[in-house]
This record gives sequence, C-alpha cells and structure tokens, in this order.
Amino acid sequence: MSSSAPADAPDISPGPAPSILVARGVRKTYRTGAESVDALRSIDLDVAAGEFLAVMGPSGSGKTTLLNCLSGLDDIDEGSVVVDGDDIHALSDARRTRHRAASMGFIFQAFNLIPVFSAVENVELPLLLAGVSAKRARHRAQESLERLGLGHRLRHRPPELSGGEQQRVTVARAIAGEPQIVWADEPTGNLDTETAATVMELLRELHRGGLTLVLVTHDAAIGASAGRRIEVRDGRVVSDDRQD
Amino acid sequence: MVVVAVASLPFLVVLLRRPVLRRLALRSIVRRPRESALVVLGSLLGTAIITGSFVVGDTLDASLRQDAVTKLGPVDELVRTSSAQEQEALAARLADLDRRSPLIDGVLPLTTATAAVAVPGPDGRALRAEPAATVVELDFPAARTFGADSSITGIDGDTPGPGHAAVGEDLAAELAVVPGDLLTVYAYGARRAVVVDRILPQRGLAGVSERSGSDSLNLFLAPGTIEELRAEGPVDATPPTASVAISNQGGIVEGATRTDEATEEIAAALGEVPGLKPVKQDLLESAEAVGAEFTELFGSIGFFSVLAGVLLLVNIFVMLAQERKSEMGMLRAVGLRRSGLVGSFAVEGWCYAVAAAAAGSLAGIGLGRVVAGVATDIFSGDEALDLTFAVDAASVETGFAAGFAISLLTVALTSAWIARVNVIRAIRDLPEPPHRPRARSLVVGALVVAAGAALIATGVPADEPYATLVGPVLVAAGLVPLLSRALNRRLLVSVASIASLVWAVIAFGLLPAAFEGAEIPIFVVQGIILTASAVALVSQNQEAIAAVLRRLGGGRSMAMRLGLAYPLARRFRTGMILAMYSLVVFTLVFITVLSNLFSSQIESFTADVAGGFDLQVSSNSANPVPAEELRSTDGVAAVATLADLDAEFSTPTTNGEFESWFVTGIDEVFVDEGPTGLNDLGRFPDADSAYWAVLSDPSMVIVSDFFLQGGGGPPEAALVPGQKLTLRDPLSGRVRELTVAAIADSSFANDAAYVSTTSLHDLYGPRVVANRLLVATAPGVEPAALADRLDATYLANGADAESFRAIVASNLSSQTQFFRLMQGYLALGLVVGIAGLGVVMVRAVRERRRQVGVLRSLGYDAAAVRRAFMLESAFVAAEGIAIGTGLAVVTAFQIVANDTFGDLAFALPWGQLAVLVLATFGASILATAAPAQQASRIRPAVALRLAD
Repeated sequence: MSSSAPADAPDISPGPAPSILVARGVRKTYRTGAESVDALRSIDLDVAAGEFLAVMGPSGSGKTTLLNCLSGLDDIDEGSVVVDGDDIHALSDARRTRHRAASMGFIFQAFNLIPVFSAVENVELPLLLAGVSAKRARHRAQESLERLGLGHRLRHRPPELSGGEQQRVTVARAIAGEPQIVWADEPTGNLDTETAATVMELLRELHRGGLTLVLVTHDAAIGASAGRRIEVRDGRVVSDDRQD
Repeated sequence: MVVVAVASLPFLVVLLRRPVLRRLALRSIVRRPRESALVVLGSLLGTAIITGSFVVGDTLDASLRQDAVTKLGPVDELVRTSSAQEQEALAARLADLDRRSPLIDGVLPLTTATAAVAVPGPDGRALRAEPAATVVELDFPAARTFGADSSITGIDGDTPGPGHAAVGEDLAAELAVVPGDLLTVYAYGARRAVVVDRILPQRGLAGVSERSGSDSLNLFLAPGTIEELRAEGPVDATPPTASVAISNQGGIVEGATRTDEATEEIAAALGEVPGLKPVKQDLLESAEAVGAEFTELFGSIGFFSVLAGVLLLVNIFVMLAQERKSEMGMLRAVGLRRSGLVGSFAVEGWCYAVAAAAAGSLAGIGLGRVVAGVATDIFSGDEALDLTFAVDAASVETGFAAGFAISLLTVALTSAWIARVNVIRAIRDLPEPPHRPRARSLVVGALVVAAGAALIATGVPADEPYATLVGPVLVAAGLVPLLSRALNRRLLVSVASIASLVWAVIAFGLLPAAFEGAEIPIFVVQGIILTASAVALVSQNQEAIAAVLRRLGGGRSMAMRLGLAYPLARRFRTGMILAMYSLVVFTLVFITVLSNLFSSQIESFTADVAGGFDLQVSSNSANPVPAEELRSTDGVAAVATLADLDAEFSTPTTNGEFESWFVTGIDEVFVDEGPTGLNDLGRFPDADSAYWAVLSDPSMVIVSDFFLQGGGGPPEAALVPGQKLTLRDPLSGRVRELTVAAIADSSFANDAAYVSTTSLHDLYGPRVVANRLLVATAPGVEPAALADRLDATYLANGADAESFRAIVASNLSSQTQFFRLMQGYLALGLVVGIAGLGVVMVRAVRERRRQVGVLRSLGYDAAAVRRAFMLESAFVAAEGIAIGTGLAVVTAFQIVANDTFGDLAFALPWGQLAVLVLATFGASILATAAPAQQASRIRPAVALRLAD
C-alpha cells in the first residue's frame, strides 16, 4: 500500500508505533549575498520508532538539508523538530550536542572517520562521549567491529582500510552507542555495487533489530529496501509511501 | 644585489613565460592573503635579525670612528717623548721631514698632564669638580695650521695666556662653566686659578685625547703652566707627557690610510722612533674590529632565530603541499610535469622571499636602532661611549641578500621535495607508504659515517673544535640508515640521539684543549646538535610520552585524546615546531642561567677581587694621593701602593708583536694583606709564595687569566706558568724579559700583569708613582662611607675611591644589562616560534573542518573542540619548552662544572625561569586561542556539506 500527502498538510496520521521524531513547519533558507534559496519549505514529518525511512529525491532537492535539520546538525529558520521528546532546535548548542551524543548515530557518504584514530578508537568515540568508561568503551567498540567482520582491523587507521571497511567502521561507530535513531546520508555512494549491497544488508539487519533508520539516497533500488519512502523536491515532501 | 638578481632569473622566467604556473602561484598567494602575510612575517624576521646584526656593528663602528673626528682630527700619529728637550728636538727633526715629505703635512708639539679641575664656590670649596681632566698645552696658531684643513682642528683664537684657559665642551658641560667663570686646577701638589676664556668644540686637536670612552675632558692652558705647577709642588708624581703630533696628507680618514707609508718614511729619516703610535689607524682598525665583533655576536645569537624562521618556512610549505595534495595530483594527471609543480611552488616561494627580504631589511634597521638605544645605557659608564646610530647601505644590502638567499633556498629545496607526489595517491589523498631503507640511504649513511670518522681522526689530534664536536655526531647519525635494515629504526634513532646529546654536553669537559678559547660559533653548533638530537629523540618516542599523558589524563578525556592524536600523527610538522621552540628556548634559558651565574655571586666575586682590602683609591699620576697620609686617616687599617702604567707585551701567543696592556707594580703590603687569588699556582705551594717570588725577583710576573684578552666571553688564559714574555715601556722602548710565575683570577677592573714596583723603576724611571691605593678598613668602618670621605678629602688629587663591592656590582650590572639585551634579541626567535605555532594551528583548523564537523555530529561539544586544539598546541609548546629548558640547564651546569668561566657556583634563577617558561607557554596558548575558537564555531552541517 502506498499513500501520498500534500506537503502543506496540517496533520499527519500517526504511525503504528509512537513517533520518535516529529517535525512541524520546518523551513530552511540558504542566503548567499543577495541571493536566497529556500532549501526546505514547511516540512512536516513524523518518524515512528523502529521505522526505516528512505528520503529520496533528485540532486539538489534538499534531502541532505532535511537530514541535517532533522538531526540538529544544522539550524532551521522556522518550525520545530522533536526527537525523543526534546525540541532539539530549542536547546542550547551544548545540550543539543549532548542529546545528539546520547540518542543519534551518523553514517556519511564520505565515511568521515577521524584519520589519526585507529578503527577501534573511532568506534569508541561516541561511547566515551556518552560517559562510558574507557575500558568498557574499548570492549564494546571491539565487539561492534568484530560483529561487522573487522576484528582483524582494529588497530588500523582509516587510510589503511578499504572503502567498504571504512564504511563498516562508520556503521559500527554509528551504532556503538546504541542510539535511538541512525541517520545515513548516501551511505553507499562511495562504494562499489557488491560492497554497497553488503553495507545495506548490514543496515537492514540493524533495522530488523529495532533500530530507527533515516537514510538519504537518490538510488531507487536502495530506497526500495526501506519500509517507508518520502520524496523531496524543491524543499517539499511530495510523496510519502509506506510498505506494509 | 647582483647575486639576488641572478638567483631570481629562473623565477622571473617562469613568471613571464609560463602563464599557467604564474596563475597557480599568484592565485595561491592572493587566495588567502592573511596566511600569505603570516608566511612573509615568519620569513622576514630572519632577514630582520641578520640586517639588525649588521646595523648594530655599523653603529659601533661608526661611533668609534666618530672618535677619529672628535678626538684626533688631523692627528694621524702621536710620538710620546720622555722630556720637553727630547720633544723639542724630535719636533724639529720631524718639521724638517715635513718640509721635504709629500706624505706629512703637519708636526705639532703638545704637552699634557692629568689634573683635577674644580669650580670654586664663594667659600673656596669646590662646587663641582672633575678629578681626572687633561691639561693640554699647545700653540694655538700652530695648531690651526696643523694639517691641511684648519676646520677639523677645532682650535679657535689665540693661545690662552697665563691665568686663562680654553675649555673643551665636554669638560665645560661636566663642570657647567661658561666664558668668564673661574676654575681651580690641581696638579703636582700645586694649584692654579684660571679664567675661562672660551669653550672649544670637541673636534680634532681641541678634543685630542687618548683616554677610553667618547669624552675629552680637556683644559687648554698657557704653555709652561704645567712646568710651573710641577716646580711649585713637592710631590713625587709622573712627569707630564710631552708628545709630538703628526698629520699625514689627506683628510681625517684618508690621512690614516697613509700611516704605514708615513711611519716607514719617519723611520727611514729619523731611525727607530720609540713611542710612535699610529693612533688614528689603531682607532679605525679597532672600530672595525669592534663593529665586526658585535655583528658576529648578534649574528650568532640571532642565528638560532634565523634557523627557527627557516624551520617555520619549511613547515608552512609542507603544510601548503598537504593541503593542495589532491590539487597537485590532478595537475599531474592532466599533464603538468613535476618540474612544473616545483616551478609553481618555487615561484610562490620566490614572491614570499622577495617580500620578506624587503620588509625584513627595513625591520632590521628598526631592530638595530632599538638595540643601539638599549646599548646606549649599557655603554654609559665612566668611560662612556656615545653611540651614533648608523646604517651602512652595504649592510642592508647584505642583510637583504642573506635573508633572501635563505628563504629562497629553503623554498626551492622544499618545493623540490614536496613535488615528488604519486599521482594516484595524491588524487585519492592516500598516505605515503612506510619508509623502507633503500640502497641510496645505505650509501649516504656510509658516507656520513666516513666523514664523521675523518673529522675525528683529523680534528681530535689537532685540537680543532668543530671537527672534534661534529665528527662523533656524524658517525652516530650515519649509522642510523646504515643499520636500519638490521635493527629497529626507532631504537637506532633513539640511541644515536642520546649519544649525540651526551657528546655535545660532555665534549667541552672531556677535551678541554680542543675547546680552549673557542669562538661563539662553536657554541651555536653545540646548540644545534643538542636541540636536533633532543627533538629527534622525543619525536621517535612520542607514543610513549603520549601514553603516559593519556594515563595521567584518565584515558577518557576526549580533548586530550584528540589533542595528542594529531601531533603524534603529523610527526614532521610536530618535529619542526618542536625544533623551533627548543632552539629558541634553549638559547633564552641558557643566557638567563648564565647571566644569573654571574649576577648572583657578587659576594664571592668581591671576596676574590678584594683579597684583604675593602676599597680602591685611584688618583692622578700627576698628583697622586699620598699613601702615608692615607695610612694615618681615621678608619684606614692598611694601604697597599700600586703603580699602574701603560705597557706593551710580546708573548708566545702574539707572534712577536707587542700588544698594549698595562702593568701593575705591587708592594709588600699588597701581599701581606691578601692579594688577588690565583687559579694556577705554577711551581709555588701557595699564592703568598708566588707573590713573594714576584716581589723579590724582577724577572717574575703574575698575569690574570684575562691578560691581553680583548672583548668578552670566558677567560682565554693564553699563558701558563713558566712561559716567557717581554714587557716594553712604550715611551722609552726599553724591554725586560719576564717569566710567568702564576695565573691570577680575573678581577673585573684590573686584569693586570703584576710585577714588583721597585723593578719597574729601571724601565719607567720617574713615571712610576703609586696611582692606585688599596685600602683595608678598620673594623666597623663602612667601605662605601670611607670612599665618599676620601673622594672629598683628596679632590685635588683626582681621587676616585670605590669599594670593591661597588666595583664588582657596577661591572656585573653592565654585564647583566648586556645579557638582557641578548635576551631581548633572542626573544625575537620566540616570536618566530609562537607565530609559527599560530600559523600551523590556523592551517590545522582549515585542514580539519570536516573532522570537526564529524566530531560535532557525534556529540563533541564546541568547548571540547576548542580544548582539543588548545591541548594540541599546549602539548607541542610544552615539549619544546621542556627540551629547550632541560638542555640549557644541563649545558650551563656542565660549563660550571668545567670551570669554563672560572670558579662559579651553579645556581638556577627559579623566578626568572618560571616567568620565561610561563610567558612562553602562555603566549603559545594565546596564539592558538583564535584558531581554536574558530574551530569550535564550525557548524557541523556546514563542515560536512563542504566536505561532501
């Protein structure tokens, strides 16, 4: 079954599970000198806990901006975003950062690992930030990496790993702190088909384990693996399809 | 400048003929103007320091040369005779030569004597007085025609008549007198009242003086006045100096260039003329030597800062290359040859080098001016030297060329190195593969070891300091590539570094003969070896250091993890900053510790210098303080009579030449009460035996370890007991062979050659008078108070009484001021280091924007980002400061242990060191504050968007 809602619809029907994310009237405008571009135009969106949402759309449609604004990485000009009960844009930068550390994980297209840290050090970063003891953080990071098949690459630094390995380290880092929600921005964009399929299978497996996953992609095949797909065009959500 | 132009040609060709490379180079400069400005700033300090060193030398040179105008004018040679009759006869013979010779254009007899001159008050007491003025008698009309140009003689009007005087402007200023004022002249136990007729400028004959310093305290009296005073006075005093001045053809400077020809002609016509001194030539040569010495001193000190600037430049260029790595890879991929990459970088560097050299030359002039200003205070003692700020265009050109060459060479070599990129690795921003020893490095290692061994083999037996110091270090360094296939490289570098460090510290004590009398550059080489070894050692073992710090930080501090991770990962960059800091801090701390070693030991120095005496009373040789009268003065326990006389010495180290110094006649009281300490007793069991031997044997002499040593630095102790030397009276030319009995401690003001006073009479005749008295005070008498009393009582004798403590304190104060000046100069290097750290951190922030964005997305808050950057610079700065401080303290301790500067007790100026270390550390943190703040403000989404 699929449904579509107008972008300016005042109410969005609640999903079957309680919403972990509720966005209302989110607007974002980029200003460069005299020019301004409306990247997001009054977006309303609910994401249920445990949902796998794919944000799709052509290049420049506002997908990544939406992810950044919903996750609190970027500021918004209007509206509100409530994640796990907190209106994140009403929080101070420090509290928003703490909130992010406690409840979110990120996977980026360019991996974005810290090059001077080894794989295990990269993975234990969010754990340490969340206040886990150094010993326990190291143990859990090792476990995560071993689970993802990187037990033999613990001490290697990112430049010494292949693209697929780096992205698996990124996934391990994203889930190490057991976040409520993981944001993935084109996670397979820099990978070959085979490695991309491996990473997607990994993400699906994590989702099956109950993780809420918001994934930005322009690839219809990858989007098809999500339980719900929204399409963004010109800063608006133009379709919202759910798969039962 | 021709060299600069030639060196610039290839760069200009690239700029004009290769539009792509020109565009690449110039756009890189203008793209980030603030950073380009920082690069220029970092590089210009090197040029400024070099130019500044030359300007300081110019200033000293010009100031001393100015004496040729103010104190000699047309006088090129001066012949001192032993009597008025001899003076008259010599003047007549020289005048005859003058008429025949095209080389000589003036002969003038003049008579001088030292006298006290006072301004009498209404009650007859002196209102103001100058104890050591020079009374001059000469024929004014003859003086005006002396030489070719009357304007440079400074002489005006007629010869003063009886009861009248013409006063030189320095003495007039000292006594605050104007024409019409009354003066009282005291000499030979008599006095004469005179009226001031006029004030003469300090120029030429009007300023004629052989005393040290820039002042000429001259009082011109009617000819015959000195003899009248002498006839009236009953005292035993040095007769007046009867001289004949000779002027060579040509102006002030040109005349001096004919001195050698003129003296040869005089010798040919008159035979050997004892007492003839080429005064102007000596003065100009001395000016040049002093100027060069100061240029070398400040240049050597500044060399560390110049080196820090070079390291900064290398670091910046390597960072630039890293930042542009993928860009460089793309350029190579689309067809740009490696030489093109080198060209683009090198042209960019050439632009920086030109701008930095130009700005640095100007800054160097300013720097020289500041140093000259500070030095004016240092040179403002009793024998003040008036510093005239001077800049020689050649100095600025040399500074520009040297700074330019250093910058250009640095950027050219660095460009060639960084342009060796692998296209694929560069495009994909992949790390360079790990270093593997190659055959070439084995060859280089073997060559370095061979070079080191050759230096040891030739240098050690010949006591050559550079080869002795550098040889073992080269062997250690060469063994690293040679053995790195078989042994762990970290272990090898660590062992080689430790070996080099230890060698550089102990070499001076282990082989003292090789380093005896070593010049300043050897200490520069030692400093470079020490810091390079220490930096290599620390760089190789950073992981272990960081592990300790992490453990201390509890392991969970994210800021500490990140702050340590980058310096450890970027070893080259960290090593460069460490080297900059270590070099500069090493020299600064070393100078601070050294300065303190001297200044803190005023009491022990005073005890050494004073022996059994408390104060010293110098007086005019023409009217000395009567020793017997002084002995009966209240508060005086004992008085030793010393006779200081100008002398010339020829020793085994002077290559048969006679060098000017002075000789001191001593008496029994001097030995009885406790003379200056000895540091080499020779064949004598104790100091008293050595001094008694000198008193009883006219062929024995005790010399100081500073004997015949010009300039500063540690005592060279050129002579050893048992060596022979020849003493010559410069006036009569009479000589005596002497044997060194023992070596005395240096005594600041009077590093004399001690002989018995009675033995001097044969050589010097009636000129031997007790013009320096050493006084032992009675119990409870304050030496400083007694000195004031004696100054007042013996004003007419030109008494200058000073406690030994005051003499030592005054000398130490000048020394300390000089050390301060050097510290200020060295602090410029610190500016380079701190600016370098700031530049590196600014670039680090730009380089890591994406990583900061990731960290922020992971929950790293802004304050933690700021802290991480601050910790990073704090870590590097702290390591550099620790290395520099540690090395400096160890080196200073070693110097004390080896008695390089005599018998000093080691002590650290904790307060000064704390200020220095904390200020350096604080400034480093401040330099990082802005980039760290900038990093903390990076918005995660923006950083990630830019990156992706």
